[in-house]
Amino acid sequence: MHRVRVSRFACLLVAGFLMMQAATGDDIADRAHKLHFSSIVLDTHDDTTQRFFSKNFDIGKRNPDGHIDIPRMREGGMNAIFFSIWIDGRIMGPPAVQKALDQIDAVHENVIKYSKDMVFCRTAEEVRRAHAQGKIAALIGVEGGHMIGNDIRVLRMFGDLGVRYMTLTHFYNDEWADSSTAKPEHNGLTDFGKDIVREMNRQGIMVDISHVSDKTFYDALEVSKAPLIASHSSCRALCNHVRDMSDDMIKALAAKGGVIQINYEKSFIDQAYKDAQDKFSGGVVAMMDQLKKECGDNEECVNKKMTEMADKATAEGKLPHVSWERIIDHIDHAVKLVGADHVGLGSDFDGANMPEGMEDCTHLPRITEALMRKGYSDDDIRKILGGNLLSVMEQTERVSREMRAAQ
Amino acid sequence: MCLGAGIVLAGAMARASAAGDISARAKQLHFSSIVIDTHDDTTQRFLDGGFDLGSRNALGSIDIPRMKEGGLGAIFFSIWIPSKITGPEAVKRALDQIDAVREQSRKYAKDLMLVTTAEGVREAHKQGKIAALIGVEGGHMIASDLAVLRAYAALGARYMTLTHSGNCEWADSSTAKSEHNGLTEFGKDVVREMNRLGMVVDISHVSDKTFADVLEVSKAPVFASHSDCRAICDAPRNMTDDMIKRLAAKGGVIQINYHVGFLSQEFRNAEKAHPEWEKAIALEIQRRCGTREGCQLIEGDRITREYVLRGDLPRVEWTKIIEHIDHAVKVAGIDHVGLGSDFDGANMPFGMEDVSKLPQITNALLEKGYSEDDVRKILGENTLRLMVEVERVSRELNAAK
Repeated sequence: MHRVRVSRFACLLVAGFLMMQAATGDDIADRAHKLHFSSIVLDTHDDTTQRFFSKNFDIGKRNPDGHIDIPRMREGGMNAIFFSIWIDGRIMGPPAVQKALDQIDAVHENVIKYSKDMVFCRTAEEVRRAHAQGKIAALIGVEGGHMIGNDIRVLRMFGDLGVRYMTLTHFYNDEWADSSTAKPEHNGLTDFGKDIVREMNRQGIMVDISHVSDKTFYDALEVSKAPLIASHSSCRALCNHVRDMSDDMIKALAAKGGVIQINYEKSFIDQAYKDAQDKFSGGVVAMMDQLKKECGDNEECVNKKMTEMADKATAEGKLPHVSWERIIDHIDHAVKLVGADHVGLGSDFDGANMPEGMEDCTHLPRITEALMRKGYSDDDIRKILGGNLLSVMEQTERVSREMRAAQ
Repeated sequence: MCLGAGIVLAGAMARASAAGDISARAKQLHFSSIVIDTHDDTTQRFLDGGFDLGSRNALGSIDIPRMKEGGLGAIFFSIWIPSKITGPEAVKRALDQIDAVREQSRKYAKDLMLVTTAEGVREAHKQGKIAALIGVEGGHMIASDLAVLRAYAALGARYMTLTHSGNCEWADSSTAKSEHNGLTEFGKDVVREMNRLGMVVDISHVSDKTFADVLEVSKAPVFASHSDCRAICDAPRNMTDDMIKRLAAKGGVIQINYHVGFLSQEFRNAEKAHPEWEKAIALEIQRRCGTREGCQLIEGDRITREYVLRGDLPRVEWTKIIEHIDHAVKVAGIDHVGLGSDFDGANMPFGMEDVSKLPQITNALLEKGYSEDDVRKILGENTLRLMVEVERVSRELNAAK
């Protein structure tokens, strides 16, 4: 942000005193700033919800740690956020249901508390209205099918409480779908898993295939009547991580109208980092497991230690530096592969290790500027920043209306 | 089988004779009024399977055709699980039932309209639909978690009975040994949060001390969703005259329950004299229904009636309901009495086998000399006034935050 402001100032100086013509680098900075701050900038995956349970966190104030709060969202021009409902994938059944309800409630209560700045949204139209009113649109995604307690009724109640996407699994398989980071046990989606996908279609809940196994992805793609999203995944062609998507998967996703929302996690966007991390801590699941042992249920502690550990290892040369520009590489790769209509942003803020230069959401304007410098049109940039996801929401809503009408 | 046929026949005869007795004036009044029932256990039948709310059923007391026939304009579907089930398991099962009510409302959108406010009830009535509302019968279902309470409210629950027949973690029941001396501090927070959420605090089932604590804490009027008068039938589930007066003084309403064991002292005495029958009935219910809870509630009513028909238990007439209404009106005034049948969850008196018999109540009250305005109040207007008041307190509390 600091850099952008200086650039704007420089641009004014240039314009005012030297009467230089357009198309300088500084002119791009200025245009990018305007574009960014007039766009709907929508992030489909933020793990900030867990912080609501910490006494040290207040989303209304600027916090010295973490990646998200209202002042920083304002500064970064981020005006639509999917708060992620997440608990460890090994917690199942009724306890998972209740914990998920607690988190859904925490989102609603925080939105009520900060209703001057935030408004709860269930539809694309509501997100647009929030933007027109200068408010941050707050939405909810459930990160892991284990939280419905193997019960389609609970899924519907989550939908009625405002949940607008569900990731079919987290790190572990649930009762009806295989995860990308666990040994397959269902060969993708079970028949009940397929019923879940159909019911999500009927309820207008987007089907999120981040985290799921490749077979689960293809099964969901076949069953779903609405486009799918990957709420926070990057490209395997650039970083060969199971949490990312192969070019074939991205093409299949796009062919059905879906979007890949690029994740900023270092080990998902940078091959060298991923390779080093695999050696250093045995990969992301093993690392999170170790941190959980140290922190118990305290998610604040898990996130803090995760960042500290990564920073320390990077300082000691055990893990390589990763620049925020890798995010642009992933966006650009996906756009080259399937066009600008099928790519968006799913940071994983407050739940992952951010690359250098993307330490928090205040740095988001960099993405807009970088894409503009790459020659992306204003329209394409707006789509990537949020427009694409809104159109998937609209299509999901349309499918839901049609399915209900056909009943 | 023969017995079953006998019951059906008796039911049909009662219906015919009752229908003939309804005056034109009573019919006109009844079918133009908003008739509200604040407690029906039909929800459990949705989960049993094999029950269709949309068609006329031979068993049970509630379905859409019979609600229309009886002129019922608004129904509170009760979310209920036994109070021994607590914690997350209770939460998940309550969600299942809330979903079932919401799904039925969607399925029969032509006839039903899920609403959460007094205004919504009036709107449904205007559209010729039955207003469907949700009440949670027992604080054990929130698992001591205000976030869960808020989720229920967000999903449409508009009242919560603080306990069922057992104590919950934060409130004493009228039918269990006292362990909290009424409401605990957390229990008081639950009541305050219900006020903020615009949920009616329901004091049916709770101990007298819990009731007194609630009256002190609640900023909004409260109701007894399905309780009767202890002065007529001395059951702990009923309210003393003093309690009814204090409830009314705060603007509350006692919604009269049709369960024979709460209506009739004679029936209650006979039941108490033979505790072995209660056990036998429980066993027979188990045999007929297994774990299907909707079935259990309905078979309980049928088996009890078999005991009545063979002369073991006394026969209680539906006119007992009128006695309780009239007593409560005399004690608390006309503005504080309503209807909370307990259909599909209790043992109905003769002549009130199902919801189609409701016009008899209007007829009887007119015959007793009640004015048409007074009858409308009892049929639903008192409950609507209470809801409006609870909504107003909620708005004020939210604005003051």
